[in-house]
Amino acid sequence: MVGPLEQAILALMIFVIMLGMGASLTPRDFALALKRPYGLFIGVASQYGFMPFIAFLLAISLPVPDPIKIGILIMGCMPGGTTSNIFTYFSKGNLALSVLMTVNSTVFGVVLIPLVLVLYAGALDLQIPRENIIVTLVLLLVPVAIGMGLRKLNANAGAVTEFLGSLLAVIFILFLIVSWIPRNWDFLTTTTWATYFGAIGLGVFGFAIGYGFATLLKLHPRNARTIALETGIQNGPLAIAIIAFTFSGTEAQSVMAVPALYSLFIVMTSTMLTFWFRRINNAGEQKLPDGLL
Amino acid sequence: MERPWTSFYGPSVRAEIDELPFRNLGDLVSHTASVYGEAAAFTVCLPNGMNGTLSFRQVDEMSTALAAYLREVAGLQQGDRVALQAPNGLPFPVVAFGVFKAGCVLVNVNPLYTAEEMAKQFADSKPSALVIVDMFADKLPEALKGHHIPTVIVTRVAEFMPSLPKMIVGAVQKYWDKTIHPVDVAHIRLPDAIAAGAARRDEGKIGAGSYTASVDPDDIACLQYTGGTTGVSKGAMLSHRNIIMNMAQTMEMISGVKKGEEVALTALPMYHIFAFTVNLIGFYWLGARNILIPNPRPLSNLKRAFENYKITWMSGVNTLFNGLSSEVWFLDTPPKHLKFASAGGMALQKAVAERWEEITGKPVLEGYGLTESSPVITFNPLGRTRSNSIGVPVPSTDVACLDAGGKPVAQGEAGELAARGPQVMLGYWNRPEETEKAIRDGWLLTGDIATMDADGYFRIVDRKKDMVLVSGFNVYPNEIEDCLAAHPGIVESAVIGVPDGASGEAVKAYVVRRDPALTVEDVRAYCKLHLTGYKVPRLVEFRDDLPKSNVGKILRKDLRAEQETRTSEAASA
Repeated sequence: MVGPLEQAILALMIFVIMLGMGASLTPRDFALALKRPYGLFIGVASQYGFMPFIAFLLAISLPVPDPIKIGILIMGCMPGGTTSNIFTYFSKGNLALSVLMTVNSTVFGVVLIPLVLVLYAGALDLQIPRENIIVTLVLLLVPVAIGMGLRKLNANAGAVTEFLGSLLAVIFILFLIVSWIPRNWDFLTTTTWATYFGAIGLGVFGFAIGYGFATLLKLHPRNARTIALETGIQNGPLAIAIIAFTFSGTEAQSVMAVPALYSLFIVMTSTMLTFWFRRINNAGEQKLPDGLL
Repeated sequence: MERPWTSFYGPSVRAEIDELPFRNLGDLVSHTASVYGEAAAFTVCLPNGMNGTLSFRQVDEMSTALAAYLREVAGLQQGDRVALQAPNGLPFPVVAFGVFKAGCVLVNVNPLYTAEEMAKQFADSKPSALVIVDMFADKLPEALKGHHIPTVIVTRVAEFMPSLPKMIVGAVQKYWDKTIHPVDVAHIRLPDAIAAGAARRDEGKIGAGSYTASVDPDDIACLQYTGGTTGVSKGAMLSHRNIIMNMAQTMEMISGVKKGEEVALTALPMYHIFAFTVNLIGFYWLGARNILIPNPRPLSNLKRAFENYKITWMSGVNTLFNGLSSEVWFLDTPPKHLKFASAGGMALQKAVAERWEEITGKPVLEGYGLTESSPVITFNPLGRTRSNSIGVPVPSTDVACLDAGGKPVAQGEAGELAARGPQVMLGYWNRPEETEKAIRDGWLLTGDIATMDADGYFRIVDRKKDMVLVSGFNVYPNEIEDCLAAHPGIVESAVIGVPDGASGEAVKAYVVRRDPALTVEDVRAYCKLHLTGYKVPRLVEFRDDLPKSNVGKILRKDLRAEQETRTSEAASA
C-alpha cells in the first residue's frame, strides 16, 4: 500500500519540512514559548490530551481489527502537521501561533508521544515498540537543528530553505495523493466504513474540540481558528514513517491504512473548514496600520 | 539674534557649523566610501528574511559607473533632472548617488503615484531620465504622454541581491503576487546601464570625480515635491549645501552614536525627505549599516529585520511607533541593542512616546521640520527630551514665532514658526510667487503655529490651516487627538472643524476603536474629564481606518474635503 519509493519520498519530505521549519526559528522562539506557558499549555493539552483521547474512544468503540486500532492510536498521538500552517494562513488565523504550536508539539513529542502511546496501548492491550518510536522522533530533531543553524549562519540560506521547504512539502503531498489513489483503488473500495470513520473522524472531531476548547477559554477568534486547525491536523507522513520503521510485512500495511486515509482526507476536510473560517471571518480581523508606504 | 537654546547642546555640540564638510554630495559619497571600504553600507531585508548587501566600495563604484552612463551614453548634462521612482532597496542609493556624481538633479517620485500624478510631476520637473522599479512600470505609457522622457532605466526590488534569493523573489512577484507586468516603453535594465557606464569609464576617457568638480554647493541637488497645505504639488529646490548642512546639523545633535558601528533601520521610504537626509545621507556618512525595508506594511514585515540585525537606531513616525507598540512579537522581544529612536514627519503623541519608552527602555527623540528645510529645524537633545516639545533648533539655525504682521510675538505666545539657516531651500522650482509667499526676508514660514518656552524649547500647537474656531476660541486638533490617544480603547483619531450655525465651527473627531463596545458618549465623557468644555468634540464618528499619506501622516484635509462634500450634498438635497 505504501511502497518503498513512497516511503523514501515521505522520509525526504519530512526531512525537508523539518529543515524548513527549523530555518524559520531562532532560539528565542523557544524562550518565548516558555515565557508564555499558557499558550504552551493549550497546545500540549489539545495535541496530547484531546487527540489521543479521541483516538482512544474511536479505537475502543469501532468494530475494527487490532492493526487498525494501533493505526488510529498512532495517528492520534502524532504532533501537529506543518500543513496546518498553510491552512492557518489561508484561514486568516495566527500564523506565528500555528508555527509555534507545531514546533512545540514536535519537540515535546519526543517525550510525550511514547508516554501517551504506551498508556493508551496498555489500556487497549496492544503491543507498541516504543524504543523505535523514540529513535525516529529524536532523528526528526536533527533537520530542525540544521535548519536553525543554517539561518544563524546566513539569513539568506535560512530564508531560501524555509521557502523551498514549504514549497516542496506542497509538491510532495500533491504528488503522493495523485499517484497513490489510482494505484490503491482496490484498497479504497474494500476498506470498511469503520476504518473510514476512524480516519476521517479523528480530524473532524479534533477540529471541533480544538475550536470549542479555544472558544471556552475566550481566545481571540483568530487564535481559536488556529487552534482548531492545529488540533485536527496531525503529522500524517510522520505516522507513516514511524510505522515503516517499526512494523514489518502485512502488519505494517494494515497499521498504515489509517494514517494513509487520514492524510488523504485531512486535506479535504481542512479545505472545507478553511472556506467556512474565511466566511465567518469579518469584523474580528485585526486592522493593520495602513499608509506606511 | 539671541539663541537661548544653545545652553542645552551637549558639550561636544558646536552652536555654529561654519564649514561645509563637502562641496557636494558626490564628494561626500566618494570620500565616505574611501574611509569605510568593504564594510556593509546597505542591506535590503524582505519580509521573509531574504536579503542583499552592498558595501561602501560597491555603492561607490556602481554609482560612479551609473554617472558615466548618464553623462556619456544617455548624453545628460550637468543640471539635467533624473527622476527616481523606487521603494527602499539597494537600487535607491546606487541611483541617487549616481545622479549626484553625474552633477544632475535628483527628482524623487512616490512609487505609489497614479499615472496621472506621475504625469504632472514629470511635466513640471521635465526629467531627461527616469529610473523606475518594474512593479510600477505599467503606468509608464500613460504617465509619459505629456512629457517624453528619452532614457528609461528599469530596476527591481531584488536588484543586487544574491542570485538564488533574487530568482525566488522575482518568481514570486511575477507568478504568485502578479505584481510585475511587461514594460511597454523602450528601456534599459539598471545592471546593463551600470555595465555600459563602467565600460566607458574603463576606456579611460573619464576620470573619477570629473563631473562633480564643477558642481558648486549652491547648485540644485534635489527637487523634492511637496503638496504643502495648498494641495498644489511644488518642487522644493534643495541644494547640495542644504542637504549636507542639514545632515551635519542633525548629526551634530545626535550624540552617543559611533562612526562605523551603527545599524540603522530604514523603514520609512527614502523618497521622503526625512529618511532621505537622515538615513540615506546621514547614516551613510556615519559609516552605519542601513537596513532597508521595501514595504513596512503590514508591520510584521519588520519582524525578520529586528530578528536578524542588531538595530541600534531607527527613525519613524508616530503611526509606526504606535503600530509596533501593539504588535505581539515586538512586545515579546523589543530590540536589545537600540540606543534611541527618532521621530518626525508628524506630531509624536505623548502617550505613544511614553509607551515606546516603556517597551524598549529607550526614548524617542522628536524632531521637527519640513521638506522646504531639508527637513530638520529642531531636535530634542538626548537626555534632555521634553515631552510634547519638538526640542530646540539645530546648530546654525534661528527660529522665531511671528505674528500676522511678521513681527516676533512675546515669549510664550503662539505665533507662526519661522526658521532661518543653511538648510532652507533655494525656492520652489519655476514658482517665484509661491517662493515669495514661503520665504520672507530669508525666513522660511512654516505654516505651523508654535510657542517657545522661556529657555528656548519649542512646542507646535498645530497647523495654521487645521485650527478650529469654536465661538471665537482657538481649538488645536493636536491637543484633542493627544487626549484621545491616551484612551486605552482608541487606536487613533483625527480631529477637524465642521461648520456649525451656533458656534461658527464645531469640533468633530473621527475615531478608530480598539474596544468595539466604545460609544460616542464614552468618548465625550472621557474628553470632558481632560479638556475644557469648548474643546470636547461635539461630533464623534467611528471609522475602521483613517486616510493617511505615504509616510503614515493622518490626512485631516481629506476628512475635511469629505465633510464639505457631505455638507454641500445635504444642502442641495
